[in-house]
Amino acid sequence: MQFFENPNYNIVGKFKAAVSLSVTLVLIGIISVFFHKGLHYGIDFEGGTLIQMKFAQETSAGELRDLLTDESLGKPEIQSSGVNEFMIRVKNSGEGTEVTDLIQSQLSSKQYEVRRIEKVGPKIGQELRQSALLAIVGALFLILIYISVRFEFRFAVGAVIALFHDVIITLGIFSVFDFLITMPVIAAFLTIVGYSLNDTIVVYDRIRENRFSIRNKSIEEIINLSVNQSLSRTVITSVTTFLVVLVLVLFGGEVLFGFSIAMLIGVIVGTYSSAFVAAPFLVWWENRYGAKAVKK
Amino acid sequence: MKAKLGGNGDMPRKLLLNYVLIGLLLLWSAIELYPTLKFEGLTESEKEVLRENGQLAGLESEIIKRGLDLQGGMHLVLEVNIPRLVENLARTKTQSFYELMEAVKTRDAAEEDLDYFDILLQEADAREFRLSRHFPGRSVKNDEIVSELRTESRDAVGRALEIIRNRVDQFGVSEPTIQRVGNKRIIVELAGISDPDRARDLIKDTALLEFILLKDAEVAQDAINRIDAVLKKNDASADIAVDSSRFRDEESRDKAISVEDLLGSSESGQSDSDTSSAVVVDENLYQDKPFTSLLRNLGSDIGVPAENFYAVRKILDRQDVRSALPVDMRIHFSNKAESFIAADGSSQNFYRLYFLNKEAGLTGSVVTDAQATLGGAGGNNMGQPVVNLTMNSEGAKIWSRLTGANVNKRVAIVLDDKVHMAPNIKGKIPGGRTVIEGLEDINEAKDMEIVLKAGALPAPVDIIEERTIGPSLGSDSIRKGTLSVLIGLALVVVFVVIYYKFSGVIAITTLILNILFVLSTLAFLKATLTLPGIAGLVLTLGMAVDANVLIFERIREELRKGKTVRAAVEGGYSRALITILDANLTTLIAALVLWQFGSGPIRGFAVVLFWGIIFNFVSGYYISKTLFETYLGGRTLKTLSI
Repeated sequence: MQFFENPNYNIVGKFKAAVSLSVTLVLIGIISVFFHKGLHYGIDFEGGTLIQMKFAQETSAGELRDLLTDESLGKPEIQSSGVNEFMIRVKNSGEGTEVTDLIQSQLSSKQYEVRRIEKVGPKIGQELRQSALLAIVGALFLILIYISVRFEFRFAVGAVIALFHDVIITLGIFSVFDFLITMPVIAAFLTIVGYSLNDTIVVYDRIRENRFSIRNKSIEEIINLSVNQSLSRTVITSVTTFLVVLVLVLFGGEVLFGFSIAMLIGVIVGTYSSAFVAAPFLVWWENRYGAKAVKK
Repeated sequence: MKAKLGGNGDMPRKLLLNYVLIGLLLLWSAIELYPTLKFEGLTESEKEVLRENGQLAGLESEIIKRGLDLQGGMHLVLEVNIPRLVENLARTKTQSFYELMEAVKTRDAAEEDLDYFDILLQEADAREFRLSRHFPGRSVKNDEIVSELRTESRDAVGRALEIIRNRVDQFGVSEPTIQRVGNKRIIVELAGISDPDRARDLIKDTALLEFILLKDAEVAQDAINRIDAVLKKNDASADIAVDSSRFRDEESRDKAISVEDLLGSSESGQSDSDTSSAVVVDENLYQDKPFTSLLRNLGSDIGVPAENFYAVRKILDRQDVRSALPVDMRIHFSNKAESFIAADGSSQNFYRLYFLNKEAGLTGSVVTDAQATLGGAGGNNMGQPVVNLTMNSEGAKIWSRLTGANVNKRVAIVLDDKVHMAPNIKGKIPGGRTVIEGLEDINEAKDMEIVLKAGALPAPVDIIEERTIGPSLGSDSIRKGTLSVLIGLALVVVFVVIYYKFSGVIAITTLILNILFVLSTLAFLKATLTLPGIAGLVLTLGMAVDANVLIFERIREELRKGKTVRAAVEGGYSRALITILDANLTTLIAALVLWQFGSGPIRGFAVVLFWGIIFNFVSGYYISKTLFETYLGGRTLKTLSI
């Protein structure tokens, strides 16, 4: 079985359309993240208390909201996480077990089992946010160096542009749909970074190889050929990864939901960007700054 | 990597080497995974039996550790409340003192570069505030006092750590993590615990330090006899699990241990610690004196082999045993196991068991200071590590009476029901100044200093981060995780086999091996499998196919160019290698960064991702290539199922 017998799509020709699609999505992402809704941080990064409870009787989020009236709880966020099971999040972290005790006493009219408690003090939240940021910036920097060494600097620029593209669009979707940014989501972002690059590098590898062996073709033709040659592989790997990540979204449970959904978006966007952003970028660069001698 | 696949006689030998290497890898994997499979197959009651035998800990140390998110448990980050500690240390507290404290606290919360003590010094100097008025008995200058306070805050973290260590085993957690992080934080991880109220006990401010007289040897012996009698009457053999098969073949050696030996008086001295052998229980003695048979003689103390610790504690907790004991007696263990070297060179760990008065002679609240130091010149303990203990006048009075009436008896220093030391009283100690001798080295003296201060100088501690996962959520997560791995695997198998047919089967084989190798590595490294770690396994499934896909697509390309099967396979593998390396190394970098910066569950993810990629090279390239070469063998195929 074979999806693409002898693919010869004019990828580079679709560059203009791809640019307008990407720019639109990135702009939506930036506007939503920075000017409109912002990002919805979980307690990992803002501090606060989360308590996950499973109730013995039928219970609705509204019912819980009506019961949780104490002022110190502010406006609790209540989210269903299963059958008669809810996650209650408040911004207050309190001293000791103050907040969870208060929540439990306000819900004492109901029968429940506490399945999870997370409490993060505001100072720790700030520290976690810093170390997450450091991790992402650190990873990007190291990868940039790696690609510059293994390929050429402009390849690295193309790869990093594709990366920012992927992460901003994923963040944008998180912002628009109000998904929570938690520690596992940051881990997913970093994995997206790795995965998206994986794709980009496979295409770049082909470009490097073809430029070396095919002398009589233009850069557009070589890039087009390379993307087409690696198309089959890209699609198959993406499909298998997409399938397993979809399984995680559907069966992984609410603890992994943020992580899985970030990965799912990342797989789609990452596959798209390596073919339609990273590769055509090289054409644009070469047309603008002229071809230099090809190394390696 | 330009391996020639030509049909010369060189090839089988090279393949043979590959088979041996792969065989060894599989063998290693089986050895690493066996304990986990065995453990998973045990029922709760079988585990209890092993626990009483002291064998469970050994098995548990070899299985793949589950993160707190999978087995349920608590993760706590504690921070010593420095402002409160400083306030507690101050004596005379005036209005202006409180104003200073408040100002420092506010600035400390806002500023990142300076720590609390830097700000305290700045503020005190700016206000021309003389700290010596509020912290008497110290230096005079502000900067000296602040640096002393800084040292004390470090000590306070040490005390909090010691108190928590001392208390934590009441939870029965097999491998609690108690770790000091930075200057003022402690991380505590308790697997399988989900009761926040008990966590509050764990860090409750004041620890209870007591000085309690030991019972005389005859009284202790009598208590042991009574326990033996109770156990024998109730036919305890059904209750205490003792693996008789373990001592049968060592019987001859064990006969040397008589009851007198076990509980002999102190004159037999040090040599008796040599009786510790690999034998845990003497079978004959066990019939006759079931409790005594679990104990050993350690000089003047009674030792409990670490393997018997759980069984002994369980016996002592029994209602019928307790009611058989004198009402004015309590029994405590030493705080940690000590290692003794037997005559045959093997070492065994023992706890000590102490039979004490019920009433404490004195509590730690009378302690005003304790200092570990080396004995001064002229004294008979010159150069030896000692602890100088100071008590307030009220305590000194009671202490003087107590020591005077009990010369040559022993007094146990007990912190939260654990005996840390039980020195001999040499003579009446008047004036509240006590010198404790007989410490192994200066570190032990420092530990004693911490213990002695723990009762009187509490370290105020806050929980700044808490993550509690209930056991039901943990098992839910395991179920969901396993389900995800299985469904993911099934989907990938179906897809790849349809797409690549026979070659797809090779890909799937390498994929499953990849997962097995990652799990084996987790067991080998004693790394922890977390829920994000399982997600990492699922992700590895998706990405591990990639190496095979890259190779197979290259082979197809080569075939389309009209090359022979053998040449196409050879070309496919060699040309895909560089791409596989380049592509995976970036993900490897991301995994390493996560490993470095991530905490707990995230690190679990990074570990799995990292090893998944490493074994992707091993399994997805090397083993896959070997399988292909085996398939092609010496044959010349016209077509390839790919």
